[in-house]
Amino acid sequence: MVPVENAAPKIEFRGVAKRHGAVQAIRGVDLTIRSGEVVVICGPSGSGKSTLIRLINGLETISDGEILVDGALVSSLRGKALRSLRTRIGFVFQQFNLYAHLTAEENVSLALRRITGLTPAAARDRALGLLDRVGLADKPASFPHQLSGGQQQRVAIARALAMNPDILLFDEPTSALDPEMIGEVLGVMREVARSGITMIVVTHEMGFARQLADRIVFLDEGRVLEEASPEQFFSAPVHERTRRFLSQIRSPLHTTDG
Amino acid sequence: MFVFDWGGLYHQPALGWLTAGVVTTLAVTVAAVPLASILAVVIAALRLERGLLRWSAIAVIELFRNTPLLVQLLFWYFAGFAALPRSWKRWIADSHPWAVLPPGVPLVTPEFLVAVWGLAVFTAVFLAEEIRTGLSAVPAGQIEAARAQGFSRIDVLRFVLLPQAFLNAWQPLVGQFLNLMKLSSLASSIGLGEITYQARTIESYNAHAVEAFAVGTVLYLIIGLAMGRLLIWLGPQRPGSRRRAAAEAHLVETGGDAL
Repeated sequence: MVPVENAAPKIEFRGVAKRHGAVQAIRGVDLTIRSGEVVVICGPSGSGKSTLIRLINGLETISDGEILVDGALVSSLRGKALRSLRTRIGFVFQQFNLYAHLTAEENVSLALRRITGLTPAAARDRALGLLDRVGLADKPASFPHQLSGGQQQRVAIARALAMNPDILLFDEPTSALDPEMIGEVLGVMREVARSGITMIVVTHEMGFARQLADRIVFLDEGRVLEEASPEQFFSAPVHERTRRFLSQIRSPLHTTDG
Repeated sequence: MFVFDWGGLYHQPALGWLTAGVVTTLAVTVAAVPLASILAVVIAALRLERGLLRWSAIAVIELFRNTPLLVQLLFWYFAGFAALPRSWKRWIADSHPWAVLPPGVPLVTPEFLVAVWGLAVFTAVFLAEEIRTGLSAVPAGQIEAARAQGFSRIDVLRFVLLPQAFLNAWQPLVGQFLNLMKLSSLASSIGLGEITYQARTIESYNAHAVEAFAVGTVLYLIIGLAMGRLLIWLGPQRPGSRRRAAAEAHLVETGGDAL
């Protein structure tokens, strides 16, 4: 395998800005993510983390600058081209967002049947395989409301993997989970991260970041404040704001500015 | 004291008229329900669009929801039908032996076609509003998830939103379908030979008005009870319901071949 640092750019942000009305969510982000890289994006709430990854698959439209995925300008894609890009990018949401009327297996196989055009039997086989991969081989017939949060999020990861994407985006995948369920989801994410897929993970799980990230990007008020390897990020953060964030995450009751 | 005399109903020709009335009511309902559903989905989908499409959907909904069905039927019968191309009218006026239900209920007549259309349009705007309510109950996150997977707008509607909207709104939708069946009585005003029309015919033939309308009422009641139960049984099943669970068990047994 090509070492990550030499791999081709997969996603490039060039002077990206995003405004929500009067609110400036992203202010001039330049960032290159290489093929096969696992990048963790962290930062205080409201720093624009979610917005940043939602711009990649066009869930939100960019206000300024450009984003390229495999060299293609995302903002220039419309209709079929945009949908085809999205099938190559798996997205995992904080609130799971499973289709409530479908079983776990159907949640995973829907896009395979309706977009890829697999036969129902083939789609089902692939879905069952993916559910097995996320440790839910015994739950194909369960509906979302019959599953725990951790199980729902694992179904959502299987669904994101269904189309065999080469990029996976995670938007705070463990933030809506009870603490005892975070481990099972992180376990699946670890397995996926090691498969060589390009991954961008918005998370506050610093253990995950330390273990699996190739790079950590610290975002504050819509700007990239710091960009470093995990070792450097945790042991020698450059910015005062980063140090404060890290100390707050480590001991939430401790405040440095109060 | 009033004494019921049922003899005037179970002798011919009254019995034949009543039978034809029941068949006509059933036929007009069976034809108008699917048409109304298709129109409703189209109107509801347009209602979700922006700009002109949305406003024309709203205009159609308000127009047909706020005018009397009787007036609408008369409009379609006298103005709408007359505006059809001459060749269509000539075709409808021809004899169509293949489209006659026993005991001699012709389906390709201006009365039947206008009744189906008028009832379908009137019902569709109510159905569209029920569907819209059902749609708004689906969490927005699921729409995002489907868009992120690469589904087009129309496919998000088809595979994610509408199945859940129908599930959420099935009870009120069935209520609207029952209304359609009962409101078909108004089509007697354009000469459709359904139950109410036939009861009036009997009344003018042998003056057994009370008996005729009593029987008519009971016939509507029976059709309504049967239809309501049938539609609930046929309708979408809540995830995890007993019938759905049985269907899924069958699917697992057969290895999903039925899919």
